[in-house]
Amino acid sequence: MNWLQRHVRPEQVREFSLLLLIVVAVIAFGALISGYYTSRTFDRIASSVTIITIVAVGQTLVVLTRNIDLSVGSIVGCTAYFVGTLISHNNGLNPLLAILIAMSLGAGMGAVNGLLVAWGRVPSIIVTLGTLAIYRGTLVDLSGAKTVTTDSLPPWVIDLPRTDFISFGSFYVRELVMLAIVIVVIFQIGSNFLTFGRRFYAIGSNPDAAALIGLPIRGQVFTAFLLCGALSGLAGFVTLARFGNITVEAGRGLELEVVAAVVVGGVNIFGGSGTVVGAMLGAVMIGILEQSLFRLQISEFWRDAFLGLLILLAVASDAVILQRLRALWARADLKLVAKPASEESVSP
Amino acid sequence: MREPRADSTGTSAAAETDPATTPILEMRNIAKRFDATQALEDVSLSLFPGEVHALLGENGAGKSTLIKIITGVHQPDRGEILLAGKPVSIGSAAEAQRLGVAAIYQEPLLFPDLNVAENIFVSHQDRGQVVRWRSMFREAEVILAELGVSLDVRSPARGLTLAAQQSVEIAKAISLNVRVLIMDEPTASLSAYEVAQLFKLVRDLRSHGVAILFVSHRMEEVFEIADKVTVFRDGRLISTRPRAETTTRQAIADMVGREMALLRPRTPTPKGELLLSVSGLGRDGVFEGITFDLHRGEVLAFAGLIGAGRTDVGLALFGIEPATTGTIVLNGRPIKIHSPREGMRLGIAYVSEDRRQLGLSMPMSISANISLPVLSRYLNRFGLVRTALERATAEAFRKRLSIRTNSVDLPVAKLSGGNQQKVMLSKWLNTKPSVLILDEPTRGVDIGAKAEVHAMIGELAAEGIGVILISSDLPEVLAMSDRVLVMREGHQLATFTREEANQESVMTAAMGQASSPPDGVAA
Repeated sequence: MNWLQRHVRPEQVREFSLLLLIVVAVIAFGALISGYYTSRTFDRIASSVTIITIVAVGQTLVVLTRNIDLSVGSIVGCTAYFVGTLISHNNGLNPLLAILIAMSLGAGMGAVNGLLVAWGRVPSIIVTLGTLAIYRGTLVDLSGAKTVTTDSLPPWVIDLPRTDFISFGSFYVRELVMLAIVIVVIFQIGSNFLTFGRRFYAIGSNPDAAALIGLPIRGQVFTAFLLCGALSGLAGFVTLARFGNITVEAGRGLELEVVAAVVVGGVNIFGGSGTVVGAMLGAVMIGILEQSLFRLQISEFWRDAFLGLLILLAVASDAVILQRLRALWARADLKLVAKPASEESVSP
Repeated sequence: MREPRADSTGTSAAAETDPATTPILEMRNIAKRFDATQALEDVSLSLFPGEVHALLGENGAGKSTLIKIITGVHQPDRGEILLAGKPVSIGSAAEAQRLGVAAIYQEPLLFPDLNVAENIFVSHQDRGQVVRWRSMFREAEVILAELGVSLDVRSPARGLTLAAQQSVEIAKAISLNVRVLIMDEPTASLSAYEVAQLFKLVRDLRSHGVAILFVSHRMEEVFEIADKVTVFRDGRLISTRPRAETTTRQAIADMVGREMALLRPRTPTPKGELLLSVSGLGRDGVFEGITFDLHRGEVLAFAGLIGAGRTDVGLALFGIEPATTGTIVLNGRPIKIHSPREGMRLGIAYVSEDRRQLGLSMPMSISANISLPVLSRYLNRFGLVRTALERATAEAFRKRLSIRTNSVDLPVAKLSGGNQQKVMLSKWLNTKPSVLILDEPTRGVDIGAKAEVHAMIGELAAEGIGVILISSDLPEVLAMSDRVLVMREGHQLATFTREEANQESVMTAAMGQASSPPDGVAA
């Protein structure tokens, strides 16, 4: 077993190659699009990636447990609209309280998903396909198809996407981008160093074994949906700040981008493996493709088709490439080796 | 986490002061019933610390049920379980683990995506909310080193060999301070070297005072490792003897010594012309060198233990898992069978042992199930199914095999096991086969239905069909067959004629013993 194989796991190889792919994509688009390497491009991509990333972190937890949440786009739309309406009626609302309301609203919707999946024993793809439509329908009905407009919002909301956290020359890292990074770091650490976080992996990796040793499977699945909902709620608030104008269409189709980010980022759609950082890399990739294809004036429908293709490629490559990599590693891996022959004779 | 051992102040009537003579686990008069089968009847068994207790029995003797009761998967209908002298009720596998009872199965239950160390410690409930990877890796390394196993604790369990996975399971058990360790056929998929390694671990555990319940089909292993040997038959405990006081011959006699009265032997019919001739048949890594002839009107039984590869031969002959080597000659013509469709076209039918997975479509009606393999015969000129014809066929089979149902339109799921078996038989007889492969046709079937299936086999042979009967039920094999082919671990060990075959000769071959087992300890 060589150095590379001792220090790097097949799953990490996948993440590194994604990083490489991102660099290749940036170079390729830079050659195709004039004026690509500007702070404006960076800004557009970053704000798009921010929203996808925050939701993708939650989606990762759900996918790790062998489930999926298709309702995230609707949750983002609902929270963006309802919190937007709330703020436009109470311009003096405390910013932190507003964010907390957005997250609670999202968590509530996530809890409904979680309850139905964990205790209702309905497959998550059906539950969240249903709530995707129900949440969106509720939004359209309650809003009366009205729109939250930028001029009804207080300045702190509108200025938030342009607030810098830190800047390097003409490139700057916005506060919202920083927020996404902080979330990624927290959840990466939590999923790696907390017993609670490791259980997401255990449950998705072998549900039978998890049940046999008495892991709280239902509670864990419920929590995954709850957190995914809460993060979608937060992403809803970020959406509100980013666009200002919120219609009932807000966040529509986001689930496609998020699921693409998660699977492109190497999270196994059958649960058990993948990382939050990987999902973030996936989100960066999706964000770059989205904005760059937009700049190349490729229609929205072709962009969606492209995302669909990417999901298929990612899942297919997961099955084939990762298996090959693992086989390569396993062959090099240590085998069950006996200690020197001091054992008592086996056949006297 | 570890319960203090019960003091010896006499909570149980049998309590004695010496810990070595106090059973750590005692089962009293355990009974368990599943639908029509009495899986366990009045079983009392004691396990002592520092003892390897082997459990022997044919398939279906009740060993698995007993294990599932000890590990909390099933609850007994009657009887009580005492752990260190105190009555306990084991409600779940997790609870069993808390009580210090763990089980290792033939296929280890690990988390493939988690690393070795994490797999060892995943079920510990006392390690706090934060995972301290460094100390976890270190502790795992210590445990594995104690076991003399060299494994990278950081590598994921996915891709470990079965033997390595089993050592992880054992490490897990040790880290949990198990007092009772159940090993259910742990050696079934191991090489001889790996078995030797495993036995080293078992002896190690024994010297640390762990009580080990060891289930195996391999006689020589049982007599190598066990201190006591208990034999089960038909859900009852037949005998418990110290190893030194028993022999393989005695154990085999206990295992098979069942009443033959219930089975009426088939009257052999004169065998017809040569139908099927198989030589050197094999599939890489599964079975090899299978050679036999099958004549019209003959019943050839495949005997052996579960996992001997008998079903795989059946699957190869029908084309589900095609053979890779050897030749098959049917009616004088050499043939290759690549798919079940080809098998069916050539007049071969395979009645699976697995009614739910491979055999029947449970929600579909009886008549639809029967016509399914040859549905093209039931189409009218517009390509639609002629249900009246379907129903007529089903009615004919219902009479012929006396399938007990109110209507052939009922879903198969509504029938009893025996009647489902008859529907499956009808389905394949309807393909008008010349070679009929029956895989465990009477498993899970009550005695009445069993007799009917046996009578049916006799009739079919009399009609000139060549029958291959794969069965783990030895009395059935002996009663039904003209010849018996015995397999063990993918190899054909012996072929007996009806006259040569008896309980002892077949079981001895299936267990991998020399044809006349030596008296005394075979260690």
